[in-house]
Amino acid sequence: MKSHKYLVLLGLAWLCSCTNLDEHLNQDLTKSEAEAYLNAHTDVNAILKSAYDGLRLPFLDQAQLWALSEHTSDEVLGPTRGPDWDDNGVWRVLHTHQWTADHAYVGATFNALLQEVFTTTNILNFNTTPQQASEARFLRAFAMFAVADGWNQVPYRNPGENLLNAPQVLQGPAALDFVISELTAIVNELPVAPPVNKANQDAARVLLMKAYLNKGTFANRQSPTFDAGDMNQVITLADAIINSGKYSLDGNYFENFAPNNDANSSENIWTLATEAGVNPGPNTGNGVRSRWFCTLHYNQNPSGWNGFTTLSDLYDSFEPGDVRLGGSYPGVTDVSGLKVGFLIGQQYDQDGVALKDRKGNDLSFTPEINPVETGNNLEVTGIRVVKYPPDFENGDFKDNDYVFFRYADVLLMKAEALLRTGNASGALDIVNNLRSVRNASQLGSLDLDGLLAERGRELYWEGWRRQDLIRFGHFLDARQGKAVSGPERLLFPIPAAALSVNPNLEQNPGY
Amino acid sequence: MNRHLLISFRCLLSICFVFLLVGFSYGQKNLTGTLTDAATGEPLIGANVVIKGTGTGTVADFNGNYSIMAKTGDVLVITYTGYKTQEITVGSDMVYNATLTAGELFEEVVVVGYGSVRKADLTGSVVAVGEKDFNKGVYTSPEQLIQGRAAGVQIINNSGQPGGLTTVRIRGNSSIRTGNQPLFVVDGVQMSGGSSSPSGANGASMGDTPGLNPLNYLNPSDIASMQVLKDASATAIYGSRGANGVIIITTKKGKLGSPTIDVNTSVGFSTVLHKYNVLSASEYRAALSEYGLTTGDYGASVDAQDAILQTGMTNNHSIAINGGNENGSYRISLGYLDQEGIVKNNDIRRLSASLGGGFQFLDNKRLGLDFNLITAQTRQDGPPITSNADFRGSLIGNALQWNPTHKLYNDDGSPVILPAFGNFTNPVALLDAYKDQTNSVDIIASISPSYKITDDLVYRLTYSVTNGIGSRRAQIASWINVQDVEGRGVAGIWDKRITNQILTHTLSYTHDITSKINLNAVAGFEYQKLDERGAGIFAKDFILPVFDYTSILQNSSQSSRNISSYNNPSTELQSYFVRAGFNYADKYLLTLTARSDGSSKFGANNKYAFFPAVGVAWNMHTEPFLANGPFDQLKLRAGWGQVGNSEFPAGAAQERYAFQQGTIALTNVANPDLKWETTTTLNVGVDFSILNSKLSGTVEYFHKDSKDLLFQFPTIQPAPAGFYWINLDGDVINSGLEVTLNLNAVNNNNFRWDIGGNISFLSNKLENYTGPNLPYGQLFGQGSSGATSMRLENGQPLNAFYLRNHLGIDENGQSIYADDESLSFLGDPNANIQLGFNTDLGVGHFNLNLNFTGAMGYQIYNNTQMSVIPIGNLGSRNIDASLLDGAQQEATSNAIKASSRYLENGDFVKLSSASLSYDLGKIGTTFKNTRIYVTGQNLLVFTNYSGFDPEVNTVNVTADSGLPSFGIEYIPYPSARTILVGANFSF
Repeated sequence: MKSHKYLVLLGLAWLCSCTNLDEHLNQDLTKSEAEAYLNAHTDVNAILKSAYDGLRLPFLDQAQLWALSEHTSDEVLGPTRGPDWDDNGVWRVLHTHQWTADHAYVGATFNALLQEVFTTTNILNFNTTPQQASEARFLRAFAMFAVADGWNQVPYRNPGENLLNAPQVLQGPAALDFVISELTAIVNELPVAPPVNKANQDAARVLLMKAYLNKGTFANRQSPTFDAGDMNQVITLADAIINSGKYSLDGNYFENFAPNNDANSSENIWTLATEAGVNPGPNTGNGVRSRWFCTLHYNQNPSGWNGFTTLSDLYDSFEPGDVRLGGSYPGVTDVSGLKVGFLIGQQYDQDGVALKDRKGNDLSFTPEINPVETGNNLEVTGIRVVKYPPDFENGDFKDNDYVFFRYADVLLMKAEALLRTGNASGALDIVNNLRSVRNASQLGSLDLDGLLAERGRELYWEGWRRQDLIRFGHFLDARQGKAVSGPERLLFPIPAAALSVNPNLEQNPGY
Repeated sequence: MNRHLLISFRCLLSICFVFLLVGFSYGQKNLTGTLTDAATGEPLIGANVVIKGTGTGTVADFNGNYSIMAKTGDVLVITYTGYKTQEITVGSDMVYNATLTAGELFEEVVVVGYGSVRKADLTGSVVAVGEKDFNKGVYTSPEQLIQGRAAGVQIINNSGQPGGLTTVRIRGNSSIRTGNQPLFVVDGVQMSGGSSSPSGANGASMGDTPGLNPLNYLNPSDIASMQVLKDASATAIYGSRGANGVIIITTKKGKLGSPTIDVNTSVGFSTVLHKYNVLSASEYRAALSEYGLTTGDYGASVDAQDAILQTGMTNNHSIAINGGNENGSYRISLGYLDQEGIVKNNDIRRLSASLGGGFQFLDNKRLGLDFNLITAQTRQDGPPITSNADFRGSLIGNALQWNPTHKLYNDDGSPVILPAFGNFTNPVALLDAYKDQTNSVDIIASISPSYKITDDLVYRLTYSVTNGIGSRRAQIASWINVQDVEGRGVAGIWDKRITNQILTHTLSYTHDITSKINLNAVAGFEYQKLDERGAGIFAKDFILPVFDYTSILQNSSQSSRNISSYNNPSTELQSYFVRAGFNYADKYLLTLTARSDGSSKFGANNKYAFFPAVGVAWNMHTEPFLANGPFDQLKLRAGWGQVGNSEFPAGAAQERYAFQQGTIALTNVANPDLKWETTTTLNVGVDFSILNSKLSGTVEYFHKDSKDLLFQFPTIQPAPAGFYWINLDGDVINSGLEVTLNLNAVNNNNFRWDIGGNISFLSNKLENYTGPNLPYGQLFGQGSSGATSMRLENGQPLNAFYLRNHLGIDENGQSIYADDESLSFLGDPNANIQLGFNTDLGVGHFNLNLNFTGAMGYQIYNNTQMSVIPIGNLGSRNIDASLLDGAQQEATSNAIKASSRYLENGDFVKLSSASLSYDLGKIGTTFKNTRIYVTGQNLLVFTNYSGFDPEVNTVNVTADSGLPSFGIEYIPYPSARTILVGANFSF
């Protein structure tokens, strides 16, 4: 009797409650569900758009690749302004070349770029048209080129590879070879510009030019060599773009960056499309407006963060009258008093009233700047740079397309290739032609340092300076706000979290 | 799901009505008597007198007097906890006095999870705190009742906000990435740990509001006792949820006897405990002239902290009815709490109700039914105080940095709004512009039939549902000059629902195997399912500056709208457990425990976890060689066990694709090996009592080793912007010594004095860790974007501060740092010493109860001082007054850098509660057990910490690694000092 009761109860107990513990995801899809959905429904154009949007965080945000490329150079300094902007030294150490292996922005940029490598690779899992595949491969090449440039190690997975396994790692030169072979394979599959805010054949040619131009640098950053064959590739590619007749230097320099620049500029070859007023979605970072927010003072309109400045050596390298120095700009100066280009001296509002800083001092930007500002004038030190004339029409999401490649860069790269292959006069002609459009005097001669300086004046704050300085052998030099730095600074450290999950990565020397 | 709930409710409600009717009595003559302790002659306050076989009963009053209607031949059953039960047959007399003798000293029974054991049989580390030892005062959530009362249990109010979060640590932090809060079990129902209050980001620069306490719905006056299970041999019965310790809350139950109504009522007020020492207007002017600054004096004299603070009124009332007879008992309670914060516009209101009962059926009383229903409706009007505001700060930051020479109000009484572009926000205006109300309803319902199969064997089934539904509406008016709000207005509505169902079957077996060996065992099966879902809408751009935006969301601009919803993967847990306690002649004790937990959260290769534990104890005082020794009790205990921590999110082991706008994207990469963290604990202790039990105590040593550390890493690149979870090698070692002493110094009729104290010494260290040295402990504020204060590194304690070493101010007024500003480990926020001290003094009808808590040997990072009130504010905003004290004047241009300068010793001792009561006993014929009291909370604080309160923890989570901070203060809600007067009585 007793045991009978036991059995019934035990049976009941165990029967009425057993589960196989399968986890139901509710809000999410499993891999197989997602693949079924994606294969059946994926609009490749939509994921291609997300691949384009994936460029925003690493390339547009002020704390990503732009910071790593510009703050480390002679064009940008993010000073500590007394109680403001120290941010644990995160900006300062970039300029002084004292960053450590756990630098937050170095790690974040590495991850954001590789996420783009994944997003673009992932598109190739689907039924794409040849053009869609070529766009994805172009974007992937662009992101991989940036990783190879910064870290010399590019983790790479083929489409469909298991994300749990540590991926193989391509060393810098191998990664560059991969980029070159990819671009060569797809250049003719890509669409023909315009529109310039989509991957296009000329954009692939510009990236190929950059790959060939930097090939010897990636192989040996401390003492780069320049193979004549590579330089001739640069020249040939440049000629193809020049001879297309589609591009010309724009007499209105800042139109290249102003609202609606994808249509209005005659120089832009590849830009990142921005839909005015439309939120591009989460994890896209601070958009193009961070280019002016990061530099403008709080009391200017648009109200900025009073952060980054340029250095007076760059400013002083311009001749008076050079249009690249900037000035009043329609739709900007008449609206807020703000000028474009280099901001130095007293700032005004749209009615000509002199602005003050928060302490009541005149808002008059001074050329002197130190990595740590301690004076009473610490809010106003440093020359500010407004490369993108702000869009006052659209709220949070501006109509300025972010410029990746433009014609002036093509011309200057061609000039560099000519110069490096002994054709100094050909190079000088190109540079002087550019300078005349920019209302600068003609140079009598041109050497590598002269060309580097001209690249600085033309391409300042556009994100190429670190690469240029390394290629020209001047990255480690002492300069304003910085002493000579060691060769380990030619590469960024691999983030610790990445090292601990991918044994194929090795920490770069010196970190 | 919903149907399940409804059915349970209906069952419970109908059952309760039936039993309410049972409790009425009829009587013949009014008997009276006095019940006293046989040894001391003291009155037995609250002793039960019940007429055998009926529901009629009563309770002795303060003087031990009772009166009851009974007839000749009735048998009065007199019971009192800890005393032997006595029966008196009613004869012709009208007065029946009784003296009860104390029962066996250690008859006290302790709830230990899925059952209870005699305290004497305990082998694990368990602290039981009964109602009389609870901290006095008004508390919104129950854990504060035992703050300072249990050695090794640290309870930190994260801020002074009524109903805010607390940090509870039992024997230190053992997990790096997952939760460290203990498991709470309310009347046998395991809590999920989640709050029903939705969190919502307000989309402005002000940051996110901190959450509310998940236990806010429990009315502390319904709680009878709390048990803290500290070591693995005690918590192994809870398996994968036991690693952080377990706190078992037992609510009050119905007592035998005729219905009694107990009333507690108190009113009180709260004021700020300690204001930040910022400059007054006159000091500010003096500082301006000292620094030669010509700007910054606006001519007025204001105190912005005072302007946002108020005296908060508290009303706390509860009424409970209970009764029962030998067939069953019930208790019903209603509670009302209305606590105003000390920050204006902040208020928490709770209406709570509980209904519980237990009944026996059948002639042989073998069928039992227990049920319990606890429900509360909570409304919080939240202040604009957040945990991660940027340099513009939230309310507290705005108040601290408000220029004391600038008027707060215009002449017409409206708050001053300073122009935008770099100016800061008027805190009183922000109060006007901000509205944030959270309403939540929480219910715990359980029903538990049992059947006594044999005298030794009981089967019990328990089904419980814990359900919380919360809704939050928040808005900020467009006229306030807060970035992203000014000229636009923002509003959001969020909701959340959290449901936890548990089905438990247990078989309990108690049997004397031989005359000397007793077995007390329980075995069971349990199934748990936790679901959480929610939604939120958020929008900006409303056309009118003043309106209730949350009522007119359609008025917002299309592009600003943000919609989201979620439904977390269900967590299912399926468990088998067994515990067997062997007792040999009350001399040698052995407890074996094992639990096997299968969880849907675990990776496919690790579906089931197994947690064993063993505890042994030796009651040495029963040995002949100690028979004439000084010990009334001397018990050696040792325990070893393994327990788990699986507080990682559901879905963590699976590859998951999340829906985004118009697309799906991979967010989590699978890890089929993902599993729980395992903590192995060794515990050795001795319990003793001497001098006729006047002095008793416990000394314990523990060593906890937590392995398979859970981490969340960004996906292995190249990969999508997702995460994956992994167990890394490493050991988090917590070890320590705990000493508890209780002295019953004096005990006679007119003078009683009890003294109790505990002290814990703890150390914490990360060992054998080879993973990345992750920075965390993010700092906020001006000049601190992305700055961190802590670093995870092998050989260091968890949450170790990793900072520049600040040496002083140089002749230029600039900070000097050691070693070229290199970072080093300079302290940690884990208290090395925790203290609790309480004393209870009774003189006649007066009783004075004092409770002190303290902690020592730890640091707090004062992010408030660093970022909100730095010297650079001088000339525009306010500064920390102590900045002017230095021998060397600090330049206003001195950079803000995370450094040891803001690392302060947190050492403190607090008089956390003091209560003076007077027992009136019986008033007239109606009121019994009447007691009036005055209680103060947070009356005294001894500390050198400069912030609002050394008891603080502004938790933030560092992006990517997801590591939570510990021991940082950042513009928190200020702490309050509260004075209450109240009365208890019953009739």
